[in-house]
Parts: sequence; structure tokens; C-alpha cells
Amino acid sequence: MQRNRFILGGLAGLTVAARAGDLFGAALAQPALRTGLAGSDERVLVVVNLQGGNDGLNTIVPHGLPAYYKYRPTLAIAPNDVLRIDDTIGFNPQLASLKAMYDKGQVAVVQGVGYPEPDHSHFRSTEIWQTAEPQRYVGTGWVGRLLDEADLPETNLFNAVALSPVLPELMIGRRIDVPSIGTLHGYGLASDGNASERAAFTSLVQSDRVPFASPYLSTVASIEDHAQRGSQELPKLVAGYTASATYPATPLGRSLALAAQIIGSRLGTRAIYVQHGSFDTHAAQRPTQDRLLHELADALKAFYDDLAAHGNDNRVLTMTFSEFGRRVAENGSRGTDHGEAAPMFLVGGGVKGGVYGEHPSLDRLDAGDATFTVDFRSVYATVIERWFARPAAGVLAGTFAALPLLG
Amino acid sequence: MRYDAPMNTSAPVSFRPPGSLPATPLGAYGGPWNPRLAAHLLRRAGFGGSPEEIVRAGSGSMHAAVDALLGFPASDALPPQPPLIDDVEGVPLPPAPPAAPAQPPAVAVMLPGGSSAAMLPAANAVAPPAAASMMPVAPDVAERMRRNMLRRDQNRANVTWWLDRMLATPAPLQEKLTLYLHGHFATAAGEKDIYGLDIIEQNQLLRRYALGNWRELTHAIARDRAMLKWLDNARNRKAHPNENFARELMELFTLGIGNYTESDVRESARAFTGYTFARPAGEFVFNGAQHDDGLKTFLGQTGNFDGDAVIDIIFAQPAASQFFARRILEFFVYAEPEPELVAALAAQIRRNDFNMAPVFSTLFRSNVFYSERAYRALVKSPVEFVIGSYKLFGIAPVQPGTIAVLERMGQVPFHPPSVKGWDGGVQWLNTQTILARENFASGLMSAAMQGNGFLTSAQASSAAALADLLTGTILQGDASATSLANLQAYLSGRGTSANGALSGENYQERIRGAAYLTMAMPAYQLS
Repeated sequence: MQRNRFILGGLAGLTVAARAGDLFGAALAQPALRTGLAGSDERVLVVVNLQGGNDGLNTIVPHGLPAYYKYRPTLAIAPNDVLRIDDTIGFNPQLASLKAMYDKGQVAVVQGVGYPEPDHSHFRSTEIWQTAEPQRYVGTGWVGRLLDEADLPETNLFNAVALSPVLPELMIGRRIDVPSIGTLHGYGLASDGNASERAAFTSLVQSDRVPFASPYLSTVASIEDHAQRGSQELPKLVAGYTASATYPATPLGRSLALAAQIIGSRLGTRAIYVQHGSFDTHAAQRPTQDRLLHELADALKAFYDDLAAHGNDNRVLTMTFSEFGRRVAENGSRGTDHGEAAPMFLVGGGVKGGVYGEHPSLDRLDAGDATFTVDFRSVYATVIERWFARPAAGVLAGTFAALPLLG
Repeated sequence: MRYDAPMNTSAPVSFRPPGSLPATPLGAYGGPWNPRLAAHLLRRAGFGGSPEEIVRAGSGSMHAAVDALLGFPASDALPPQPPLIDDVEGVPLPPAPPAAPAQPPAVAVMLPGGSSAAMLPAANAVAPPAAASMMPVAPDVAERMRRNMLRRDQNRANVTWWLDRMLATPAPLQEKLTLYLHGHFATAAGEKDIYGLDIIEQNQLLRRYALGNWRELTHAIARDRAMLKWLDNARNRKAHPNENFARELMELFTLGIGNYTESDVRESARAFTGYTFARPAGEFVFNGAQHDDGLKTFLGQTGNFDGDAVIDIIFAQPAASQFFARRILEFFVYAEPEPELVAALAAQIRRNDFNMAPVFSTLFRSNVFYSERAYRALVKSPVEFVIGSYKLFGIAPVQPGTIAVLERMGQVPFHPPSVKGWDGGVQWLNTQTILARENFASGLMSAAMQGNGFLTSAQASSAAALADLLTGTILQGDASATSLANLQAYLSGRGTSANGALSGENYQERIRGAAYLTMAMPAYQLS
């Protein structure tokens, strides 16, 4: 199996420092059941965070609802410009590339996604989406818990990868350590060019306790060790891959190009995080959101063209999310304030294309906001159960019905 | 001066697990005073120090060291602001050079105007459009590109100016508090039309109030042009209130989630309608025609409140002092401070009516500040890591390329990732940022060997003495016996590092490598 070959060939005899006693302070997770993720090392989840709160009404446009034009006198997209799905809704014209994929049955749109008692803070709502815990503060993310519960080898440095400058909470687990990688270029220790410095660095960061107590010491040592070994291995491991699509020269395009390279190199990577934004359009929304949606659609198209050319498109499911949609009525600055429910996209990976869930009512608003019709944890449960064939109970608190959008 | 003895001859008060506070956590610390604790104070209340400064502060008394920091020695000799080249309000753009074709901006990769630091692409990631300089460019496009270049240049000049100020200032606590307040009232340049002078004037405001009254500072922040742009309050009008500032004022600046309702946000937004600034001069104006002067019900009180009344109501809430106390403790003392400690500091803040000089005076002399629970219990921020290393090794001014290095580490001043500021703590550290830190340290040691710092004159009789000198000076002796043995092995060419015995010929290269390796020890990441 590819994954075993990688572990034996690349990192035999090495172990990642266990993170017990680190910031999170808990013992290692001891799940009762570790039966692996479906499809062995085949299936991958790519999560795209649309940071800042993407306006759902101008993403999947309800051109058939008169209320939309009443609430959006300057921001509404004209009916003739909408890329129609049906007589009620359609895609923002900037999403033309995504609409083309939709027409081929490769895109599922889930309408009206949110959660009860929605929080209007970017930070708390982002935390809620990433931890899947609207009622409590927890130190782990839902993907991190999913990876912990699965039987993934702790010796693999790349079980999951965050292509972002900061490790997102979504990827934080108790057992699996996830690296953050911006770009491959420059990802490595300059001093590793010198054999004696490389050896001394290794022995120093793996050495024993220091004469003071600090909650971060083992975390620092573990990350340094992981960074040194991972940065030595990764460029070699992905060097054989050549992209078969032209990606847009945008940050998201570059992130997804690297994601395809990692996926195509079969490192046993099961989850990848990328981010795109900022969608926080309080003022002058149209030019900003239009540009960002255009970049999103074009990057996703290149990503799936590249994946398909390497035979990987059916093993990669991409899911977008944003911390909230925006207020139904535009504000006085040609922008929108923080709102509630919004659509999500699931792309590739054998999704059954189409529209799922119900468009939120624009006639019965909750203090100016669209009320959710689908709980975001139902979408997560769909990914966990239908994509990875894992019980959602170990990852999500509560029971959420999966949607029929995956085979 | 000799450094060949470890500095940790006297440990601070014994380690205490989280949750068991000393009886008087804010009572004056009466334990031993030494360079190790002086270095702790200088790291937290400033940006560290040179070996001489650390020894000097450690050989006097704690009170003398704290007094010297709180006294804010005059910093008038420092440049008050960077050179302005931007088209900010009141500062005209320099005229366009005649018929010069717009060049792709060579520095665009470091601070692109359109996105904040955490969302910046990596330094090598932005390729200017290759065809830009070959194809004819419409005059308006060329002018826009020229403007963008000037703005990027201004951004870089601003950041460099502040970093140099942190490094050179005789009043390090003033700059440290300014950095704290910048993260607290986080505002990013390059977005929402916030350019050169906007962010510099906000920075000067924060510096002016560093040890002043933070309620008055909050009133001033509500009128600050950069903030009015950043959170859209300049566009907050009676007919369509914009809630952005009203929400973050309570959530991130003063109270924290759970201490107000959604209704309070909407009512506060109404109170702040009409708070805007004049163009082109840029000064604050209250636009009565756009102000909603109806009754508002805010935090249980009803009246025809304006924004300033809202701020006064907020600061009368016990939650406000609790909020500031917690944020201060997390930044200056340790993460997850005990509720009793938060309450004790909050009481100090209330007693002093948000005048912060006596509050910080108490904090920097307190038992809890010198407890082992606090010692090296914070992760150095990138700015602390970089400026602290410059000071330790005697390198000034800030080297070219430092902004790009800070970006890879995850913190560029004036470019916080969001209005929440930098998460800090363990969030600073991931594989990518750690590599950036180590590579910076490696490069810095090559520079340090050319400079006038302690490294160029370091002399020791043996590998063991040299290892003691380096760990004593760089880590105040906070290295384990095993690490020390590993370092000695590297210096003497034994074991896995075998590459020949220490000699006159390899002395320079070996001490450079050993200093770098000492900085790679996990303890150096901690403050």
C-alpha cells in the first residue's frame, strides 16, 4: 500500500513526539474503535474556508424572489445576469466556472446552512464552525477529532496539512499533529545544509527537560522536531508530480495547486485546509465579492482539471464553508452586515450534483436575518459517514442526519 | 565582563500548579533578585536587553529596574514619524514622472495593499503580471499602479520606522504597551483605504496613552480616523446603521462576548451614527444630520445616547475591568489566568479609574509576575523574537528583509490578521513559523559575527566554558544538562556532530553555529 511504502521508505524508525502534557493537557485520545477511514488512503477532504462571512444571497442568487430585489436595491444581481439553476435560484455570474461543473453534475449546493442561536461574531462563529460545538468551548476541531478517531499512523507527518499561515482550529486534534505549510519554496531549515548542525539541531530539540516548568515546552520541541523532519521529506516526496492544469495566479490558486501535488503524490494525506478571503463586505460589497467568487470558481475548476488528469478527481471531495452569511437587507454603505444562514458547496468526489435543503425564507426574517434550514453538522455528518465511512458520533456531539448528496 | 557562569543560580519562587495562587498575588515580590529575573522583566515589559543591560538591571534592585521602565525616559530624539510619501488626507502625491512606464512593484510581495498580513501570500508567491511592462497601459491604470506602489512603499517605511523605534528606544515599556494596544485595538493598514498617515496617527495615539487612562483612550479610538475607516463607522448613518464598530467595541475592545446582547449592538450602532471624519483634512467630525438622536436602550439604560455616552456606560460595567485585566495578564504574565487573579487586577484597574500607570507598576512588582508559573510561560511573539534577538546580539538598525521574515513568522506590525489582533500564545507556533524563526536566527548569527555584540568578543578556555557562556547569555542558563552536553559535543566535534576538535581555525564558525543552536533550543521560543 502506498501509505506503508511511504512510512517505511521515508520515516522508518522515527516517531513524532507525543503531545500529551502539551497545552491541551489531556492524555492521548483512546478511542474504542479505530477501523480506519473508508477507501484506505484514497479519499481526501479539502476544506475551503471563505473567511469573513460570505454573502449567500449574492452567491446562490434567489432571482425569483421579489423580496431579494426589495432588500438589495444596489447590490442585487439583475435577473438576466444570474446563471439560472431554475426559476427561483441561480449562480452569481462570477461563478461561471463552477456553474459549468454544476451542469456536469459535479457540484452539490446545500441551501440555508447554519445553526441555532447563531453568533454574529466572526471569531466565535468561525470557532463554532471549526469545532462543531455551538454550545461549548472545546480545544479540538472536527477534522482533528475525525483524524484522531481513525487509525492513522502517528509516524506519518502528513496525515493532514493546513495550507495556511496559522494552524486552523478545525485541524487541531489530540493525537494527530498537522503541519502548516504556506509554499514549498523556503519550507526547510537553512542550517540543514550543514551535516553537523543538522545532527546537533535534532539532538537538541529531542533532548530532555529544562530547569523550569513551562506549559509550552513540549509543544515547542515537538513542532521543531516535526518541522525539521517534515521539511526534509516533503519536497522529495512531492517532486515527481507535474500539474496538468493552469492555475490562476491567486493565493487560492497556488494553495490548490499544492494541494493537488500533495494528493497526487499519495502521502497518505486525508484532509487539506485552504483559505480564501476576506469576504467581510460591510461596504462596497460588489467588486470585492465578485472578484473573490471569480477567483474561487476558477481555482476550483483548475484544481479538478488537474485532479482529473491524474485520475484523482473521484477521491477528492471539496467543501466550502464560511462563518456566516450576511444580513438580508443591504446597509447604507453598499455593503452588508453580519448575518446568518448561507449556502455551502460540495464539489467532486462523486457528489450527486444538485441543490439540497431549502432556501431560507425572505419573508420571515429573524431580526433581519435569514434563518437556517440545514444544520451545518448535518453536512459534516454526511462527510464523516458517507465519505469516510466513520461514525459521526465520535466526532460530533448529538445526532445529525446525513444528506443524500454522496453515493 | 564575563558571562561564563550560568545565570540561574537562584530560581524564582517555587513552581505552583495552575489554580493555587499565592495569598497576595499582586503583593510586592520580596524574593531574590538576579540577572535571570531581570531578563524576565525586560522581556515582558520591553523587548529584552543586551547582556550588559541584563546584568546591570539584575545587579540593582527589582524596584529600581521597574522604576526605570515606568519612568519612560524621553524618546524625543527618535524620529516621531516615518517620511510620508503617501496620498493620505492632506499629503499630496508626488507628481508622476513624465512618461515613465509603470514597473511591476518589486516589493509588492511583502505588503500587498489589498489583504492583511495573515492572508498575505508567501513572500515568493505573487508574480506581477509578466506582460505589464510590455503592453501599453491606459493612463488611469498606470496612475493606479503608481499609487499602489507608493502605498506599499509607505507601508514598508511605516513598519521599518516602528521596528527601529522598538530597537532604539530608551523607553521600551512605552513601545511594548503600544504594541499591546495595537493588538488590542487591532487596525490594519492597506485595507479600507487606510494609508500612511492614518495608521501612524493611530500609533501615536496609542503611544500617548500607553500608561494613561484607557477609558479616555477608548473615547479617542472611537474618533480615530483609521478606526473610523477600519470598522466602517465613518459610513454609519441614521437611515442605515452600520454595526461593525459597535459590535467590536464591546466584543473585542471592552467587554467580551456574553456581556451584552444583539440588541445592545444594534442600539450602540445607532448611538455611533454620525461619528465620521472630514475630507480632505481628515479630522474627526460629528455629523448631526446623520446622527440618530432617538431614545436607545443600551445595557439596561435608556436615553438619547451618543457614542461617548455608550463608552461611559460600557466602562461602568464590572465586565470592562475584568476584560482588560484578563487581556493584560494573558499578554504580560501567563495564559489562562486564574479567575481570582483576574478579579484582583480588575479591582486595581477600577480603583485607579483606568489610569494604567499604577496598575502596571503593581503588576511588574508582584509575586505573581515573578512566580515560576509565570517564568517562560509565554510564547515569544515574532516581534519579540526578532527585536529581542537584535538587542541581545547588538545589531542595529533593523536589517533589510526583516518585514518579509516577520511575515513568514506570522506578525507584521500594522498588519494584524483581523480586528481581533493576533491570537498569540501557542498559535504563534507551527511548522512553518518555527522554520522561519530558526532560519532568521541562523542568518542573524552570521550578521552577529560581523557586529559589535558579545559574540564577536566571546572567549572561553574550553568547549564546556563556551557552552556555559552561550547558554548563560542567550538563555540565562535555562538549558538542561543534556542540552548543554549536546552543545559541548557540537563545539568540540564529538559524537554525532563529529567534525574535528575545536581549534583556532574553526573557532569562529563553531561559535556561530553553537549560538544558533542555543537559539534553536525550545526555551528560546519562550518569554
